[in-house]
Amino acid sequence: MSTVAISEKRSALAPLGKPLAIAGGVLAVVAALLPWVTFSLNDGNWPDKSTLQFFDAPFLVTGFRWHMLLFGVFILVAALAPTPSRGRVLRALGWGTLAVSFINALYITIKGGGLGAITALDGEVAFGGVVGVVAGVLVILASYGIGIEPVADWKFKVSTPVAYLVLLVAFGGVLYAVAAMLTTGGVGASNPYAGAIFLSFLGFAGGVLAALSGVGLVRWISALSEEHRVFSVIVLAACALLLPFTDAGNEYWMTVAANIGIYAATAIGLNIVVGLAGLLDLGYVAFMGIGALVAANFSGAATAYFGFSLPFPVAAAIAAVVAGIFGAIVGSPTLRVRGDYLAIVTLAFGEIFTRSAQNDIGGFTNGSNAIPGIPALSLFGAEFNRSITIGPVKLPGGVLYYILIVLLVAATMAVFANLKFSRIGRAWIAIREDEDAARAMGIRTGKMKILAFLIGAMLAGLAGAVFAHKNGTVSYESFKFLESITLLAAVILGGMGSIPGAVLGASLLFVLPEKLRDFEEYRLMIFGLALILIMRFRPVGLIPDAHRRAEMAEKADENAEEAHVEARKA
Amino acid sequence: MSPLLEVRNLSVAYGAIEAVRDISFTVEAGQIVSLIGSNGAGKTTTLRTISGLLRPASGEILFQGKPIHAEPAHAILGMGISHSPEGRRLFPRMTVEENLQLGAYVRKDDGVQADMDRVYELFPVLGERRHNKAGLFSGGEQQMLAIGRAMMSKPRLLMLDEPSMGLSPIMTQKIFDTIKELQSLGTTILLVEQNALAALALSDHGYVIDLGRTTLDGPGHSLLADQRVRDAYLGEVH
Amino acid sequence: MSVLLQQLANGVIQGALIALIALGYTMVYGIIQLINFAHGEVFMVASYGGLATFTLLPDDLKKTPAVALPLMFVGGIAVAVLVAVVMERFAYRPLRGSSRLAPLITALGVSVFLQEAVRVWYPDATSNLPYPKVFPEGNLSLGAVNIPWTGVLLIVLSVGLSIILQTYINKSRMGRAMRATAQDPDTAKLMGVNPDRVIVLTFVFGAVLAGVAGVMFGGYLNNINIDMGFQNGIFAFTAAVLGGVGSIRGAVVGAFIIGLIKTLSGQYMPGGTQYDYVWIFVVLILVLVFRPQGLFGEPERVRA
Repeated sequence: MSTVAISEKRSALAPLGKPLAIAGGVLAVVAALLPWVTFSLNDGNWPDKSTLQFFDAPFLVTGFRWHMLLFGVFILVAALAPTPSRGRVLRALGWGTLAVSFINALYITIKGGGLGAITALDGEVAFGGVVGVVAGVLVILASYGIGIEPVADWKFKVSTPVAYLVLLVAFGGVLYAVAAMLTTGGVGASNPYAGAIFLSFLGFAGGVLAALSGVGLVRWISALSEEHRVFSVIVLAACALLLPFTDAGNEYWMTVAANIGIYAATAIGLNIVVGLAGLLDLGYVAFMGIGALVAANFSGAATAYFGFSLPFPVAAAIAAVVAGIFGAIVGSPTLRVRGDYLAIVTLAFGEIFTRSAQNDIGGFTNGSNAIPGIPALSLFGAEFNRSITIGPVKLPGGVLYYILIVLLVAATMAVFANLKFSRIGRAWIAIREDEDAARAMGIRTGKMKILAFLIGAMLAGLAGAVFAHKNGTVSYESFKFLESITLLAAVILGGMGSIPGAVLGASLLFVLPEKLRDFEEYRLMIFGLALILIMRFRPVGLIPDAHRRAEMAEKADENAEEAHVEARKA
Repeated sequence: MSPLLEVRNLSVAYGAIEAVRDISFTVEAGQIVSLIGSNGAGKTTTLRTISGLLRPASGEILFQGKPIHAEPAHAILGMGISHSPEGRRLFPRMTVEENLQLGAYVRKDDGVQADMDRVYELFPVLGERRHNKAGLFSGGEQQMLAIGRAMMSKPRLLMLDEPSMGLSPIMTQKIFDTIKELQSLGTTILLVEQNALAALALSDHGYVIDLGRTTLDGPGHSLLADQRVRDAYLGEVH
Repeated sequence: MSVLLQQLANGVIQGALIALIALGYTMVYGIIQLINFAHGEVFMVASYGGLATFTLLPDDLKKTPAVALPLMFVGGIAVAVLVAVVMERFAYRPLRGSSRLAPLITALGVSVFLQEAVRVWYPDATSNLPYPKVFPEGNLSLGAVNIPWTGVLLIVLSVGLSIILQTYINKSRMGRAMRATAQDPDTAKLMGVNPDRVIVLTFVFGAVLAGVAGVMFGGYLNNINIDMGFQNGIFAFTAAVLGGVGSIRGAVVGAFIIGLIKTLSGQYMPGGTQYDYVWIFVVLILVLVFRPQGLFGEPERVRA
């Protein structure tokens, strides 16, 4: 029925598609060149000289107005030049335009105390926001008029050097985008409008990325990177190691980035269990907690259980092994329990861990006092949390942790990628798709499922060991149900079974709270709402795994029902 | 006067796979019409689409001249189409009586008990064991219950999907006798069968469906005589 | 000996509370095979709804328990039903027929959202809130055992409501439609059963029981906080699994078992009340591993 509705909408809009898009593009450009605010707000002028009184150089646009100008130009290009899947591209650009305009206009209205701030007040007019919103809506309508075609599939092959070059440029772009994302709006509370600037930037980045994806570029590049997997991982790691040399290279962002990295590594581990083997784990963070506690107890901290300290690599290995053993234990009910019942077993295990750790079970956790004073890692006398100077270059504090964690993430990615394309990975995917069929094909499903839990838990344990040393304190508080859910959300938001997805998901979920201090109070509420909306509108995640995408798309009513019937007969 | 049921250029797809492409047929009031064809020809899909469990990709389904292909399944029953699905699909953990009551779920009149007694009269074995769970009955008895349940809504059109599947020849004969009897009581019947011989012998009109299309149609007895039908279907079944 | 008897009584009261919540889990799972994680939060929201109703009453009514208490039940139940219907309509219904993972994750999202919504928007919800003293006070003394009247009321309500529910589902026309939808949703549609109505009604029944439980929780423990939903929700879910998901009788029996495990292990097992929670989960895991269909469940129910 929905297809009928869309085709009707299209027929009404069809002849207007192109004119609407052109009008929208022009309006977006106009909006960029107009003032947006009629007066100076209490917290200071709205950024990028968009306040009427300070609107001295209309054509020297920066910040969000520059983004609007770019959107306008892109829209005009997409509307006039021959563009593959034009409707899809325009839809993305339209939503981007709308997001940027709406976010800025909304913030100005709230901070300015009324609609007067973005329209007319005391004879002054500043219609930038309104024009921008109209432009966005027009372009979205235009895109439906033109029609949403499937994403274009780029067939042409390129030689290896060209592919390398393309990948270099692409990952360079990613590095730039990450640095920009971290630094826009400044650190924490230093800029009163940091939240708005960041959200606006996110709207811009999202719109451009979706447009590039709509035109087929993203799919093409991801196919290229899959083809040249080793090269991609090296370049990606190199890009990540270059981050300290960008604007984001200060202690604050190194710390944040390192934390993100720890969770990203854990999320990749969870992705093995959930994304590849299809086993929902609701207590996964407990394995990270076990790893952290083991490492803390071997660290020589004052309240550690053991009175001696082991070298970090040894302690980390023990942490991974212990977490892995627990993983296998938790996974063993998978031999008999399936589906959401298994999810409950994992949840129960997570709760047992939290409760036991809270009560200082066996004297290993120090209960709610936590284990403080875990020494920072050091290498050749350089402590990882200090800044270091190599010749003329002074690197910010925490950079060594950052590098260590980049290596950790790269290693987990490599493990994940190798497993995914190995015999084991294929067995997992077979189990995920249809466990009975997998068993019929001779896959030893029980062993494979426990293996998934074991490997996932080991990766989490390893990440936990790094976490312990980096933060200096280990408390059960860091490993509660909500953290498990957040990790799961990172995997789902990014795209199940997809490696870049897990990293992107973890980044978004752990950067957003840093950036949106205005919404601190509402953080978790927005998080809950986001989970609901993602499942409703994009259950495959932001960067879907190719196999997974096909599977989710075809899981239509009927298949589910047929499966139902089959289960009933059995 | 429009036919009771008219299917025009119906296509149905499961994801990318088209199970039915361009099927057309009509059922006149009072007739027994059968759709025959080999396994996977799209017969069951056609019935499931008529009763609203599936949505057509294109084409129209008219019941008493009114399009019904956008209506939900529960509303279509209320219009007077009853569907006894393939494999009987009784509610196994409910009693015979509860299954029949569910068949009359949409009825608000007080004739339900009388109609239930009529089913028990038609199939005495059901009456004797009306408080037993449906899952405990034999295949033939379950088929009787399925037909009885489908009758309980007092449909204008009764659609039966493979009523003879898995039954002994004697039981099959009994089921087909019942179908004939239902017709004489004024019910129009759309029958899907792999047992083409028995189905066509009973039918006023038959349609042969192959790979999702109607390939042949005609009165039941003339299709029975058609050499192409005999070669393609009748030889296989018996 | 008297300690044991007292703990048994406490366990039965806890079980009665858990049973009211567990019924909501078991019915929804029986019909749409969804672990509605957010159901625990519906119970929590209902408790706050009851409290808000009391706060809004004029002063003279506040002093008349015979009026105030029923109104609090009405208020709590109304809030619970509203939340349940909205969440079914806007969060779960659009996902019907999608993969099994999606609704489960949505349920987690709804759960987080509800808990946060109360924390942020209900006045002073960040700390424990005292519940009004409109409940019958004092104890029923049976020898050495003292059972508070609120506990007695809780047991009566819990057992009474589950018998009514069981009867309705077994005897009424709508109850038949619910069972039919649970056994075979497609064929139920062919009988003219509107699945949307059946499913909404299932959520409503669960919410009504959770509403009663929410208000009674406040009356029995005198304090409420926003964490009550998650914890009791998990207990209730465990009870539903223990009894066999989909079975009304199973949920009630399972709930009493959980209540007893909680109080008895808190009294007699090493670690005391700090580990009572852990024993419940140990039992849950053992049940899932050795009798995954639960005590009263039917084996075919358990599937991926």
